[in-house]
Amino acid sequence: MRAYIIRRLLLIIPTFIGISMLTFALIQLAPGSPIALKLQGMDGAMQADAATQDIIEQTKALYGLDKPIPVQYGLWLGRLVRLDFGNSMKDQRPVMDKIGEALPVTLMFNLLSLFLVYLISIPVGVYSATHPGTKRDSALTVFLFILYSMPTFWVAMLLILFLGGGEYLDWFPIHGLQSGDATSLSWFARLLDRLWHMAMPLFCMTYGGLALLSRYMRAGMLDVLRQDYIRTARAYGFSERTVVWKYTMRNSLIAIVTLLGGLLPALIGGSIIIETIFSIPGMGRLAFEAVLSRDYPLIMGEVTIASLLTLAGLLLSDLLYVAVDPRIKLG
Amino acid sequence: MKPVQLLGILLLLAALCGCGGERRDPSDLGEILTEYGNDTAAEKGDWLMLQMPAEMPHLNPLTSSDYYASTVLDWVFDTLLDRDQVTMDNIPNAAKSWDISDDHLTYTFHLRDDVKFSDGVPMTAHDVKFSFDKVMDPKVDAPYLRNYFVDITGCEVLDDYTVRFTCNKPYYRHLVMIGGLYVLPRHIYGEGDFNNHPNNRAPVGSGKYALESWETGQRITLVRNPHYWGSAEKGWPYFEKIVYAIIPDDNTAFQVLSRGDLDFMSMPPDLFVRRANTPRFREQFNRFAYYRPAYNYIGWNLRKPMFKDRETRLALAMLLDRELLRDEIYYGQAVIISGNFMPGTPEHNAALQPVLFDPDRARTLLAEAGWGDEDGNGILDRDGAPFHFDAATTNQNPLAEKVLTIFKEELARAGIDMTIRPMEWASLLERVDKREFDAILMGWSMPPDPDPYQVWHSSQVDAGSNYVGFVNGESDRVIEEARVSFDRDTRIALYHRFQEILHEEQPYLFLLAPKVLAAGDKRLHGIRVYPFGIDQREWFVPKAMQRYGG
Repeated sequence: MRAYIIRRLLLIIPTFIGISMLTFALIQLAPGSPIALKLQGMDGAMQADAATQDIIEQTKALYGLDKPIPVQYGLWLGRLVRLDFGNSMKDQRPVMDKIGEALPVTLMFNLLSLFLVYLISIPVGVYSATHPGTKRDSALTVFLFILYSMPTFWVAMLLILFLGGGEYLDWFPIHGLQSGDATSLSWFARLLDRLWHMAMPLFCMTYGGLALLSRYMRAGMLDVLRQDYIRTARAYGFSERTVVWKYTMRNSLIAIVTLLGGLLPALIGGSIIIETIFSIPGMGRLAFEAVLSRDYPLIMGEVTIASLLTLAGLLLSDLLYVAVDPRIKLG
Repeated sequence: MKPVQLLGILLLLAALCGCGGERRDPSDLGEILTEYGNDTAAEKGDWLMLQMPAEMPHLNPLTSSDYYASTVLDWVFDTLLDRDQVTMDNIPNAAKSWDISDDHLTYTFHLRDDVKFSDGVPMTAHDVKFSFDKVMDPKVDAPYLRNYFVDITGCEVLDDYTVRFTCNKPYYRHLVMIGGLYVLPRHIYGEGDFNNHPNNRAPVGSGKYALESWETGQRITLVRNPHYWGSAEKGWPYFEKIVYAIIPDDNTAFQVLSRGDLDFMSMPPDLFVRRANTPRFREQFNRFAYYRPAYNYIGWNLRKPMFKDRETRLALAMLLDRELLRDEIYYGQAVIISGNFMPGTPEHNAALQPVLFDPDRARTLLAEAGWGDEDGNGILDRDGAPFHFDAATTNQNPLAEKVLTIFKEELARAGIDMTIRPMEWASLLERVDKREFDAILMGWSMPPDPDPYQVWHSSQVDAGSNYVGFVNGESDRVIEEARVSFDRDTRIALYHRFQEILHEEQPYLFLLAPKVLAAGDKRLHGIRVYPFGIDQREWFVPKAMQRYGG
């Protein structure tokens, strides 16, 4: 077992090098250069004066873009080993600082959203599995699928329109994470203010996942309920409640617990749509803008974190399988 | 309840969302003002809440090329000179007067002695020289700015309040460029790595406002500079604070405006016409429309065989109904242009008649230019090649695709096949830089009195902004002569001739200069619409209507 874990950990290194090399080459080969974008602006109308060739070359040298791509990659890898992610080309701030600002925001949203999805989906899935085929089960299914099919940007717009003030109700703030004058409040009031701001974007992030996870739960549980040992438990005379919660639950959880491992990289990926609509400074916007402006160091920093987390998440997922199901052996 | 009933209710709700408010006739734009609240004296106090659609990366005045950064930097830093909003003349700002040598190679500025940075330290000529030296330093990431100053070779301090710039070539725009340089405090920016300076997130200048806080991704708060020199002519910082809320989405921002948390915002035409036009909205807000010096155009790559002759280009211009564009897409809030100078400026040649929409005449012209339909497939051809081209544009602007769609239909009726290619900005830029395009729909944003050199001179065809490849001997001579004409009337006459040439040759299909459509809370007074925009420095809120602050 230990040997297996060590082997998997060591495998991460070459995998990561492959990922980062491919990413590095791809973003450099993409059309457009960060220098051109710096000089000619990003907002769609060009400035009516261009830079001379000398100045373009000067700027390239300043950013190390005049060296051949393999050399640039080697330099980047060398810095990475020393945990130096370099500076963003857009504003010269360290990449780690920028990610360090956006990551906690995204994590906060994703963790809360995950928690809420599991909180709601598990009881719903259990109910559906224990009352399969009833009218209530069908209604629940239809309702969840309707939720799932509603696009997030549309729901966000509706929420903003109807609950965000203006013509209709004014229940929730619609932009940002905190009110302007929040610094003068006590920490508890500030926390409430933060949660109040998070309500609508959190809803948009959560409702879609309900359908998916509750179906997983339902399917997993139905599978278990059909097993012989459950029939045996009922034959012993245990109450339905005991049968479901004590004997079925644990085995049904296999599917969704192992999902957790695969969800690890998703935790740091923000939704660019929701972040743009609600003005949330999260990872989605950071990554999107980095790609648009060809900010190579920032892109590579994000890819590094995302790929390492994915690889770690896959390992975690496999280990969780073993922990939850003693029948499975690794190695 | 049954799922069917549930579905029915949901559908009904969805349908109801489409209603709400009265249906407006799109041609009824409602009242649009050109000025408001100018009959009361200005008073200090209150906060100004504005929207910022995109967060700037940083606020270093020399290394920044971001449009939104410049709106904040204009508040925080002073320039040597300012420009009159109506006449565009240079007027004193941090420099109270200036002398120009007869050969136009030496500019001497006399600074005011009462200008202080927001930390109380006085501004001197040394700060001006420091700012200039930083721009010219190749290690400073300011390529965009440095390009303007290539022919300005030196800057020397004559005494604490006198600074002299020397140039190695005469050029009429040198005064404007030097006058527009932000003056940085040497005692703050002189230390440390300039490109990565800690003050890039906390700029310190001598302008009306100082930065109070920058909450990343959320808001930027400016506070009145207590040391601002102010005067009766220059005005004072009236607002106690100016707060920029970073809201990328237009619909969200509009919602924030309607609930009263924003005081002023500009918006796309459809928002302006549909949602900013209800009686309830108009009770609380005034609506304005004003020009920026910017215009849209379709550029023909003159190297391509189908665009080589001017008859074809003229015919293409006749196949686009620009009045339709103006009325349908911009709701009339735009002006059709025929040249590169903005209407309303003396440089603009008002005698030129715009090319009229005339599909029949266009067909005749195309036939005269040698286009026929040899293979009978409905598409014109010439010398064996069919008349087909790609029109590339940005995918960020929905209006651009609308314009091209309307054009495509009319072109198809005349037997010309155009493919619309919206693409990501960086990719579009690369195609344009490499001259790998047939036609492009883009825009230029410029100062109110631009020098046509960079976009139209033959020397700029390969590496400059003359993307279409326009080469014309007379046009070159006219541009070169204007660059060294220091008398504005001489330049005006030359530019009028230049626009005649552009009109004859049609290297661009000039489209429209659209107005900025905006709404402002009725609290805001002192608003005036100038030929090229609004000046927020003049705004204030009368004491009785003030809402924020102490």
